Amino acid sequence: MKCRDCLEHLYEFLDRELTPTLEQEVREHLEGCEPCADLADFETFYLKFVQARCRAQGAPPALRRRILHELFDE
Amino acid sequence: MAAPTPAPTPVDAKRESFEREALVHLDALYRVARRLTGNSADADDLVQETILKAYRAWDQYEQGTNAKGWLLTILRNAFINEYRRRVRHPETVDIDAIEPFAVFDQVQDDDPQGKFFDRIVDDEVLRAVDQLPESFRETVVLSDVEGMSYQDIAKILGVPVGTVKSRLFRGRQLLQKQLYDYAVTNGYIRRKDG
Repeated sequence: MKCRDCLEHLYEFLDRELTPTLEQEVREHLEGCEPCADLADFETFYLKFVQARCRAQGAPPALRRRILHELFDE
Repeated sequence: MAAPTPAPTPVDAKRESFEREALVHLDALYRVARRLTGNSADADDLVQETILKAYRAWDQYEQGTNAKGWLLTILRNAFINEYRRRVRHPETVDIDAIEPFAVFDQVQDDDPQGKFFDRIVDDEVLRAVDQLPESFRETVVLSDVEGMSYQDIAKILGVPVGTVKSRLFRGRQLLQKQLYDYAVTNGYIRRKDG
């Protein structure tokens, strides 16, 4: 696999959306190619960061109470 | 002698399964609603409406399948049909006016691991997400925040998987660039010369 193909499939690889064969090819490329591996690390870190920041917020307690009241008359 | 436990009524069983399979996703529904509507009052209403619709249609949901995807589809349809026209979502960026570039290329000498991201707080990240055009925003939120698969996202949005992939690529690139610009403005990282 060439760098260009690796880059093309990188997000699908990180999202675990590749077929096992292609996933293995990307994995092998990343093991032998430092620039691509660095980019993969950067994107992995970025995706974890976005998820952590955006998941800090949940449903407000007042909304939860309102919904339970509407549903089950509590 | 202990009295025998009364057999659960159909109502109890419905409530129990709805709590176990649907209400556990309340936080996810709220997060998605908040990003779609752009404000908390409409997000509250949209989530409440989604849950009530889902409870009424609970017989149509096949238990043990993908409740989160099923609920998000109801939520997203309600948003499109009843909210999108009237909610005042904060202004979004003009995607055609933004030159796409890979942030990694800019930072690989100074901060190849992207540690500067860590200095950006929740509110700033959410604000940047809200600035994405709607089709990119909903795709990024479903994937990167809620962890839905490409196939699930395609079903929720009613688009081909290839569209999910391309929106995700562009949406991530856009969001990264917004966050990078914010980090540069605040001195978290130096803009690369040239």
